[in-house]
Amino acid sequence: MTIFWLSVGFGLVTASVLALASVGLSLQFGVTNYVNFAYGAFLTLGAYFAWTVLTGGHLPLGLAIVIGALGVGVVGVLCDRIVFRSFTRSGFPLFYLLIVSFGVSLILGNVVQGVWGPSPQFFAVVSQFPLHIGPFLLTPAQLVIIGVAIVSMVGVHLLLTRTRLGKAMRAMSDNPALAQVSGIDINRVTTWAWFISGSLAGLAGIALAISTASFEPGFGENFLFTIFAAVIVGGIGQPYGAMLGAFLIGMVTEVSAAFIDPSYSTDLAFVVLIVMLLLRPQGLIPARGKA
Amino acid sequence: MAAIVFYLATVVNYFFIYNILAWGLNIQFGYAGILDFTYITFMAVGAYVAGVTSLGPQQPGTGVVYILGWHLPFPIPILLGGLAAAVLGLIVGLLAINRLRSDYLAIVTLSVGIILYSLVGNLTGLFDGFDGLVGVPEPLNGQVHLGVNTYSIFYMAVSGAVMLLLWFFAQRLRASPLGRTMRAIREDVDVAEAFGKNTFRIRLSAMVIGCFYAGVGGALLIGFVGAFSPDGWSTQETFIIWAILLIGGRGNNWGSVVGSFLVIALLSEATRYLPTIPNNAFLEPALRNIVIGAGLIVVLRFRPQGILPERKAHFPEIRTAAAQAGDPGRD
Repeated sequence: MTIFWLSVGFGLVTASVLALASVGLSLQFGVTNYVNFAYGAFLTLGAYFAWTVLTGGHLPLGLAIVIGALGVGVVGVLCDRIVFRSFTRSGFPLFYLLIVSFGVSLILGNVVQGVWGPSPQFFAVVSQFPLHIGPFLLTPAQLVIIGVAIVSMVGVHLLLTRTRLGKAMRAMSDNPALAQVSGIDINRVTTWAWFISGSLAGLAGIALAISTASFEPGFGENFLFTIFAAVIVGGIGQPYGAMLGAFLIGMVTEVSAAFIDPSYSTDLAFVVLIVMLLLRPQGLIPARGKA
Repeated sequence: MAAIVFYLATVVNYFFIYNILAWGLNIQFGYAGILDFTYITFMAVGAYVAGVTSLGPQQPGTGVVYILGWHLPFPIPILLGGLAAAVLGLIVGLLAINRLRSDYLAIVTLSVGIILYSLVGNLTGLFDGFDGLVGVPEPLNGQVHLGVNTYSIFYMAVSGAVMLLLWFFAQRLRASPLGRTMRAIREDVDVAEAFGKNTFRIRLSAMVIGCFYAGVGGALLIGFVGAFSPDGWSTQETFIIWAILLIGGRGNNWGSVVGSFLVIALLSEATRYLPTIPNNAFLEPALRNIVIGAGLIVVLRFRPQGILPERKAHFPEIRTAAAQAGDPGRD
């Protein structure tokens, strides 16, 4: 039973990382209506940015995380401005954008490989002593990850419900043409969507790097599939669905590790994804017109 | 001199094999519009199955663990590799085709690739896990007994013959009613359905035939290289086949030939003229992939149909709006 509760604790950490990542992916998908296959590379970049600021600039960890996350937000905006928007403006069909984002992923992943080299790196905080909190056993860093995820989710919720920008994003997600004729500056909203999506990806990448102890080029790309599973289980293009899906997939992958070989935990996420696609392909919280 | 011949023979062998791989993806995507983001998985399965059926029974003490070990003679392992990939393609197709939009299909195929990668890596008894297969016998070399250099020239004939066979089939398929229906589905599923076509079954058959090509290509590759490990499964490899198809021009098989020629030339020659940067051995392969990625994006942006675009079918008696609305490539 102890092992079960321990794994629930780890599940919360994984769910937090996943929630950050999948909400970011979902937000951008909702506004632009195409899947960004370079999103995994965004996670990798976030971890490397923060690590470089931390080890090279000798800044406090909190500041390094903020700089890392915002840096990826800028990368997201640049990718959109330089690459994706020239395709969307000319009305290229959907599959072009999928292939192009695939190409952007290849470029970003190899930039990481070329700049930082292939050897694994780690954040110094991973060697902290774990604390007993109720039935859970978590390190302070893991608690911070859970806290950051909760704060970010509340922030996204407030953004979507209380601000003009968030409402404009939801409007574009529902019907871009209608949003445009209603006077919404869709270029500006799209830029913001990329910035927020990139920042959340950067944050998720740093959290993932801290929670998995070490990171190397391509670690974010490998995590992308788990993000997809969470996003699809929740309902693609729906930030709230993404939160739910992240919780579900995070729990399934970690709690299962208490009973089966942990190296198969990703495969279990895939089983959940397949069952979901067969039974309820629109996701737990379906978005109209997206599936 | 011998080194140049060996180098050229290697490049030509790769060129032949990549042609086969690109035609398979062309049947899936260029003909039927299926976004298969894990094409390399089917190639890998073909390579592994061809490997374990041409290897003898596993030897205790070598540390290399695998199943089967049937020690079958030349063309059979290649055929089995293709069939194994086709069966896997059938399973993935049944699961994924016809479910929602094409980006879902892309996500599911990508996921299948990652899962199989982790399964093969973790189930060490299946294909030796992450270490992969080594020492796969060279096809027919038990009969001809050639040295390394001469064998790679001989192998050009083997892969060339298989390539011509598959070229013939791909071209026949393209012109056949089945191939025309595939392209109709690519252009507009609803219209094809309205004409009473079973679009699911036809797309499934495109998926399976394409996977067979991938498997045969993989089998030829492992026969030439003699080894294969999960490192060669990565998404980047899939991307190279996609780059070949899209840069060359999808929908027609000549485009793939142009594409694989260009991409292989780029892969093997592009970084030769770059100044060497000391103390960073990782930069060169990284730069090569960056060039491929950027090249593909630029080609897609400015020449969306590829270098050799597919020729549109002309129907002189009905030159109406349908013929003019010549924007191909809907999702």
